[in-house]
Amino acid sequence: MEETAHALFHIGPLEVTGTVTTTWAIILALTVLSWLATRNLKDVPGPLQNVAELAVSKLQSYFTGTLGEKLAKQYFPIFATFFIFIIVCNYSGLLPGAGHYAGFHVPTASFSVTAGLAVIAFFTIHVIGIREKGFGKYWKHVLTSMTLPLFFLAIIEQVVRPFSLALRLYGNLYGEEAVAENLYSIFPIVVPLIIQVLSLLFCLIQALVFTMLLSIYVSEAVE
Amino acid sequence: MATSGLIAIAAALAIAVSTIAPAVGQGLAASKAMEAIARQPEAAGEIRSTLILSLGLMEALTIYGLLIAFMLVAKI
Repeated sequence: MEETAHALFHIGPLEVTGTVTTTWAIILALTVLSWLATRNLKDVPGPLQNVAELAVSKLQSYFTGTLGEKLAKQYFPIFATFFIFIIVCNYSGLLPGAGHYAGFHVPTASFSVTAGLAVIAFFTIHVIGIREKGFGKYWKHVLTSMTLPLFFLAIIEQVVRPFSLALRLYGNLYGEEAVAENLYSIFPIVVPLIIQVLSLLFCLIQALVFTMLLSIYVSEAVE
Repeated sequence: MATSGLIAIAAALAIAVSTIAPAVGQGLAASKAMEAIARQPEAAGEIRSTLILSLGLMEALTIYGLLIAFMLVAKI
């Protein structure tokens, strides 16, 4: 499924593809924005600090609703990082030149990136469960929360969850890119706008769904 | 039939059939959500988030079909 996975250059034994360079650019942009927003914290905030406070407070209130106040406060960094990283990666597909230049390839439109995010999410769920409940009690809780007749289905569902997280995000983003290219080859001027306008909504929804599902899985693991 | 023709039919069938059931499911979810909002407008925020989460889960099923269609089209 990856046509653009050729390496741009090598760092030692590791290949650096267009996806990796775009991820670096996004990391750099987010770091610079965060530094600028939190530089001189004032009681009456300036515009950038205002936006940052709005984002943090909205995210915090959502996670408090799902997880309860103590857990949301303790594990807020990882959930918010998932959300902000995924939403910025998704919207980078709307920038001009996405996917056409060798070094600019939307990160979440590559299965490697979304699979990596899903693996991190999987370990996050289990680590948070173990930290909150203790090692033995957590596994006992996981096993006893599956009722006996549906035991194998529940085990399969546990294994499939990270796959579905990865595939949902990858499929949506790759589908948007592929449809935009096909529409572009039909008529390049206005026709690709159809999918790009839809993409305005769906990028946000996919980031929301990933983070919502992650917080729901964590609340199930900890309850 | 030529192999290439079969692959093309399979790709079309994959995406066509995989949109039917999720669309019906999403329509049902949305209609119940709208009834719930109409009955209790102050819960609209919570209902909206739950609705978007459910729609995202059902959308994933269509996306699986779309992915298979893309993989097949690449092999025609």
